[in-house]
Amino acid sequence: MTTSGTIRLAVAFFVLVLLHFSLRPALGWRAEIDFLLIAVLLAAVRLRPGMASLVGCTVGLIADSLTPNAFGAGALAMTIVAYLASWLKAVFFADNLALNGFFFFAGQWAYEIIYLIAAHQMQGMELVQQILVWGLLSSAVTAAAGVVLLVLMRPLLEPATA
Amino acid sequence: MARAVASGTRADAILGFVSGALALIAIALPGRLRDPIAGTLRRDLVAPLIALQKNAELGRLALIRHDQEIAGKDSVALRALLVPSLESENDRLRRLLGLGRALRWGFVPAEALHSRALGEEFTMTLTAGARNGVRPFSAVVAPEGLVGMVETVDPRMCLAISWAHPDFRVSAMTADGSAFGIAKAHLGSGTDRYLLELSGVQLSTTLPSGTLIVSSGVGGVYPRGIPVGTVMRELGPREGFTEGWARTYLLRPAVKPQDINSVMILEPRRGAAGVQAVWADSLKDSTADSSASPGMQPGTEADSADTPDGPTR
Repeated sequence: MTTSGTIRLAVAFFVLVLLHFSLRPALGWRAEIDFLLIAVLLAAVRLRPGMASLVGCTVGLIADSLTPNAFGAGALAMTIVAYLASWLKAVFFADNLALNGFFFFAGQWAYEIIYLIAAHQMQGMELVQQILVWGLLSSAVTAAAGVVLLVLMRPLLEPATA
Repeated sequence: MARAVASGTRADAILGFVSGALALIAIALPGRLRDPIAGTLRRDLVAPLIALQKNAELGRLALIRHDQEIAGKDSVALRALLVPSLESENDRLRRLLGLGRALRWGFVPAEALHSRALGEEFTMTLTAGARNGVRPFSAVVAPEGLVGMVETVDPRMCLAISWAHPDFRVSAMTADGSAFGIAKAHLGSGTDRYLLELSGVQLSTTLPSGTLIVSSGVGGVYPRGIPVGTVMRELGPREGFTEGWARTYLLRPAVKPQDINSVMILEPRRGAAGVQAVWADSLKDSTADSSASPGMQPGTEADSADTPDGPTR
């Protein structure tokens, strides 16, 4: 990745982090948009799997600092999702919004499942309900938001033409 | 080239393993080690973002509170808007009680239900019927004066026409009896439609504006002395009234359409006994000062035609 590409990616990443802590609480939806995951996925497909997993782990740990009882669960989930996203990036390399939307959906749902299992805070029906209802809803809104952001941030994320 | 790829893959695997291991260690950390690490991350990295989050949540709460405050203000404003109408209703009910006291007997109180259907604007359903003693052609009155006449009577309800109905006619006169005529709905357009006209007034008599017009009692349907309206002005050739032998006057009705809610239906025998004393104050005011406002309050004096059988209801 070129220096210019890295800077543009960093800017996009920063914008998404800001959105996570500003727009998400402002919306106050029960099924929340996870802008951090979108940021990690966007970075992951532009990085090698190792670096992507490190980014995922770092972002996950920072996010986990707000939920000390589940500390590390988000980091583990982000690490796995980022690593897989980077590894699978060839599949999603095509500039297809629907495919990218599915990518965000699958990434968010995988993150939710890993996080909920690793956090050990829910069990039984509550866990199933969280995964199958709220997890799916959250994945859907995150995917929708991800697609919108991809369109809006396309000039920032695409490599500059010579 | 192949070695570089293999080296990169190995580095990725190592980094991935390290990241995963870090995350697992974080999960497995005991509370006394985990909390300081989480605290450090919160203070040094997340704190500015938390401030942002706090502002965003405050903004959302402000929006929600704003909506609640607007709703609250709207409720207060709505209640404030209701106060004049409640006062007006109270005033009307008091006057209705006054009318009931003045009539004493031979009347049936009823609520007037209006239909908004086309062609039925001037007809109303009254919530009293034959079982309550209502008979066809009974006069319908309100504290302010004459409302209309009962046309059709059912056991529990009846239909009445108001003074605005095209078929409505009442023999009327000035309060001092100096001029007579027939009062009927003024079939004008717009707001004029809700006025009355007094036709057939002899040419030699000129009625000044504000003169009270009451029912004359001729014809037997409407007892003498019920306020019908007040003179506004004379209708002339400009309005298409070219009767050479009589004058026609435009009247402001004593009972406004919006005041036709609670009414009294006079029984025929009560009408025959006379009701002049009921609106005596209005008649006195009118005689004393013909230009006075037609604030027709039912009299509080007992009618001279009182009988011991009391009100019908």
